[in-house]
Amino acid sequence: MFRSMLRGLLTHKLRLALSALAVILGTMFMSGAFVAGDTFAQGFTALFSTVNRDIDVEVTAKDTSPGGQNAQLGTPTALLDQQDVDTVQKVDGVAKTTPGVYSAGARLIGSDGKVVGGNGPPQQGIAWQDQDPLIQLRQGRPPQAANEIAINQGLSTDSGFGLGQTANVITLEPPTPYTIVGIFGFPGDRPSLAGETTVAFTLAQAQRVLLNAPGKFTSIDVTAASGVSDDTLRDRIAAALPDDVVRTGAQVAEEQQSATSSFVNILKTGLVVFALIGMFTGAFLIFNTFSMLVAQRTRELALYRSFGASRGQVNRSVLLESVLLGLAASIVGLALGILVGYILNKALQAFIDASLPVSGVVVRAYAVLTTLAVGTAFTVVAALIPALRASRVPPIAAMRDAVTPDKPLTRLTVAGAVILAAGGLLLGLGVAHVGDLPTWLTLGIGAALTFLGVALLAPIISRPLTTAAGKAFAWSVPGRLGARNTGRNPRRTAVTAAALMIGVALATGAGVFAQSAKAGISNAFERDVNAQLAVTTSFSQGPGANAGFPPELEQTMAALPGVSAAVALRTDTVNLNGSDRFVLAGDAQAASTIFNLKPVAGNVRELDPGEVLLDQDTADALRLGVGDRVTMRTARAAPVTLDVVGIFKPNQAISSSLISSADAGGFRSPFAQQGFVQVANDSQVPQVRAELDRLFANNPEVTVNDQSQLIDQANSFVDILLGIVNTLLALTIIVAVLGVVNTLLLSVFERTRELGLIRAVGMSRAQVGRMITVESVLISVFGALLGIVIGVGLGVAIVKALGDEFLSLTVPWGYLLITLALAIVAGAIAAVLPAIRAARLNVLQAIAYE
Amino acid sequence: MDAAGRTVLVRPDHDLFTRGNQVTASDPVAARADDVWKVYGSGEAEVIALRGVSVTFQRGVFTAIMGPSGSGKSTLMHCLAGLDSVTRGEVHIGETRVTGLGDSGLTKLRRDKVGFIFQQFNLLPTLSAKENILLPLSIAGRKPDDAWFDTVIKTVALQDRLGHRPAQLSGGQQQRVACARALVARPEVIFADEPTGNLDSKSGADVLGFLRDSVKTYGQTIVMVTHDPVAASYADRVIFLADGAVVDELSDPTPDMVLDRMKRLDNPAEVAR
Ligand SMILES: Nc1ncnc2c1ncn2[C@@H]1O[C@H](COP(=O)(O)OP(=O)(O)O)[C@@H](O)[C@H]1O
Ligand SMILES: [Mg+2]
Repeated sequence: MFRSMLRGLLTHKLRLALSALAVILGTMFMSGAFVAGDTFAQGFTALFSTVNRDIDVEVTAKDTSPGGQNAQLGTPTALLDQQDVDTVQKVDGVAKTTPGVYSAGARLIGSDGKVVGGNGPPQQGIAWQDQDPLIQLRQGRPPQAANEIAINQGLSTDSGFGLGQTANVITLEPPTPYTIVGIFGFPGDRPSLAGETTVAFTLAQAQRVLLNAPGKFTSIDVTAASGVSDDTLRDRIAAALPDDVVRTGAQVAEEQQSATSSFVNILKTGLVVFALIGMFTGAFLIFNTFSMLVAQRTRELALYRSFGASRGQVNRSVLLESVLLGLAASIVGLALGILVGYILNKALQAFIDASLPVSGVVVRAYAVLTTLAVGTAFTVVAALIPALRASRVPPIAAMRDAVTPDKPLTRLTVAGAVILAAGGLLLGLGVAHVGDLPTWLTLGIGAALTFLGVALLAPIISRPLTTAAGKAFAWSVPGRLGARNTGRNPRRTAVTAAALMIGVALATGAGVFAQSAKAGISNAFERDVNAQLAVTTSFSQGPGANAGFPPELEQTMAALPGVSAAVALRTDTVNLNGSDRFVLAGDAQAASTIFNLKPVAGNVRELDPGEVLLDQDTADALRLGVGDRVTMRTARAAPVTLDVVGIFKPNQAISSSLISSADAGGFRSPFAQQGFVQVANDSQVPQVRAELDRLFANNPEVTVNDQSQLIDQANSFVDILLGIVNTLLALTIIVAVLGVVNTLLLSVFERTRELGLIRAVGMSRAQVGRMITVESVLISVFGALLGIVIGVGLGVAIVKALGDEFLSLTVPWGYLLITLALAIVAGAIAAVLPAIRAARLNVLQAIAYE
Repeated sequence: MDAAGRTVLVRPDHDLFTRGNQVTASDPVAARADDVWKVYGSGEAEVIALRGVSVTFQRGVFTAIMGPSGSGKSTLMHCLAGLDSVTRGEVHIGETRVTGLGDSGLTKLRRDKVGFIFQQFNLLPTLSAKENILLPLSIAGRKPDDAWFDTVIKTVALQDRLGHRPAQLSGGQQQRVACARALVARPEVIFADEPTGNLDSKSGADVLGFLRDSVKTYGQTIVMVTHDPVAASYADRVIFLADGAVVDELSDPTPDMVLDRMKRLDNPAEVAR
């Protein structure tokens, strides 16, 4: 008795530990997300407060251009001039004004011919300021001639260029050689502020090559005279320059901060969602463990005949135990999460190529409290459900069949069917966009209900499946026994499988979505892009980012031998009749040929200056028809009036209105960003490609691709997204596999005597191991099959809901097969520990066990 | 039948070579314990369960091991069957030396040479009666001999119950299934630990009668642990254990003879007087 109790306790402990592990993983993930996000954000806070530390007040021009701040591409257009500087200087309380030029558009070309810093943090250009306290000259001297630059220490290290060397820099001008005369760093001995690269020109050169606006500035930094507060000075300057934006340094830092924190919050939310899914899965495991604990305890108490007290006692003990378990596990999870947060923060910085000025980790109170509360709440709820359910069962019945409850599944099945139907209905509504709720919410709730419904139906579904599996394994005794065992406790098998189902369903849904997106991309290219070759630009980020190629190359490309049509597209946000719209400029005739533009009204033809081809959506939104006139306001030129000569049906390649290149003079960027080249004869493609390569040889930001490369690029983006989603779902799957381990340990424990018996009649350890493995694999495969079926359903629903215009519904069979194969492997791995336990059982003790 | 059955039995203990119409093996000894000691625990908690037990079980003989509770009956059986290791001495089953066998050797032994009937929970609940009966053979990957299977089933009168699950069978039927399972594999020895301990007297008598018949008719060797004199009277030979040692032996027992010996074992003072 004592020995069996001890053994029970040990098994019990292991299972509690597994349940705790599920909670630990979930809370670890969650607090890791919080800590990483907060540390990351703190890094930016530190960065921006450093940057703005010495600025008392900053003046910038109000950006009234179409798209304003959101138009990230092109040259800054909100500029100040010397007159503004003088105005500020005259304001009472101003000690000093420092007019500045800043643009994220100075790319230094490394010795490998590529832009240093690539697609990382901004590659910025500035005008050298002698008294800028942020910039500290380390070597050499400031630039004094137009062809001289100073670069930051980080850029010097990354590029290998040092003092006295000559490097090519791309600005609004094509690559131009400059001599490096100075190398500078930042306060705190930092080589860069956050991994960005900076090229400092003379003021006049900066105004010319960064802004294309001699005599203009992007900002005026103001130092207050002593005794004047920042706020007072701001108000005085604002009164003097009512049309400009005047902020204190603290305000600037705060605004820059809030721009990044919304990004950080999205990141944090995403990670927390996955943490919650993992915890939800863990709840199934905890549910199973506590079902067993409760059953045991109810029986014990029934044995000690304290019927009256037993219910409350069981509930109280379960409550206490689950609170302790949940809290302890959450604390461990939190501690590990802080470590994860530290690593994740480093990984994030590496990912965006930044090195933020923050050391250690930021652990905020809300992160601690939320993690502990959520971890504990999940545990307690999952544990209390079986306790409350058990307290409705008379103790005598509990005594008799607590170990293998064979209660009818009718009620469960009916409930499951109803919930599943509700979930299906919601998914349907989501797909059809019926109802007031946002689609994602309808689909989300529909998916959750579907999971729940299927989880409830799983016991009844498991029966025929395990029977069939039993037949399939009839040739092997361990296999047959394992299969039969799987069917013995349909509820437990179902709960275990359902946990796995969630992760697999989400991964499958993501797989269907990804595959459909890829197919959609390929279709779009095949259907809507009749060009064998494309010229693409690597976009750098930030205001002033200016990559591209001269639009005049359109004619050059069209004139290449073998080319039947070529278009170079310039893009910008403009304002059409008061509404901000994205438009394209280029040869409309060629675009029509290449992109299969179908006219809805008027003609789709070559455009003269002053003419526009509207896409149907824009035409509808602005209520414009052929023959109407539309006023276009651009960032850099006076408004022009355009005649609508045609309206076309937007497709995957072109969904914005087209104007002629001649009217694009006011675009922020003087460059074209994309080119498409149609070659008359496929055999001439290599030759044309070689010509194009030569044409763009001096521009490291422009690449020539063929169609399949373009598709591959787009697909690889989808694959990366799918990879990230699946990596995050791995948490859920690991927890579910722990659940399988848990259930099997439970089974081994409960079937101790049976295991002794089959060992006594000659079964070997290996055979026992195989028997457990079969059970494990069957549970896993069952879960995976449910998950795959639901996941395909969810994927289809999402694809349908988002519209199959750019998604072409495709089921990734290979991916599904791999998922199934992985489930088999996971099942086999989950079986290892329980199988070892079962095989190691002392036969005699097992037989004597009761 | 009981009385008649017993009268035709040949004394096993003095007739090593002629016993058993089915026995063909050259060695007439099915199992043997030589000076077996079994000590549990150590120091204060030391319990000597067996003290130098030497006993031989002939082929085709039905032997009962009797003794008061705690006398070491189960321990002896477990040691004989290779379910437990001995502290000292040696155990043989047929020509196999059980002492010192590793797990795979023991598995093979249980598979090929030994059958078990336990007091209860003898069957796997997920298997039908027939599957339970054939389990040892399936585990060993051996084909059942159809004629022998039919014979066994007929003897235990389970023809109509073969497709039933254990839960659908009475206790007596379950034990008969267990007997059939032990017998179908034709092991060297069947060990039965209180096989009728949980049965009413009618079912118990059925099972015991069946065990005795299998010995008599088919030459099966059976070693049965029991504390019930009536059960012991079905055996050809009774070995009495007390305090871990063999203290007495009876051939051709009747319930009264067994009861008498037991009384004396239970109350040594009375014997002395
Ligand atoms: N695993 C064990 N650990 C310690 N003592 C044991 C163990 N098994 C049996 N014993 C002791 O050995 C003695 C013989 O036990 P057992 O063979 O079960 O007796 P019987 O079957 O005749 O009732 C008893 O004193 C018992 O308490
Ligand atoms: Mg005993």
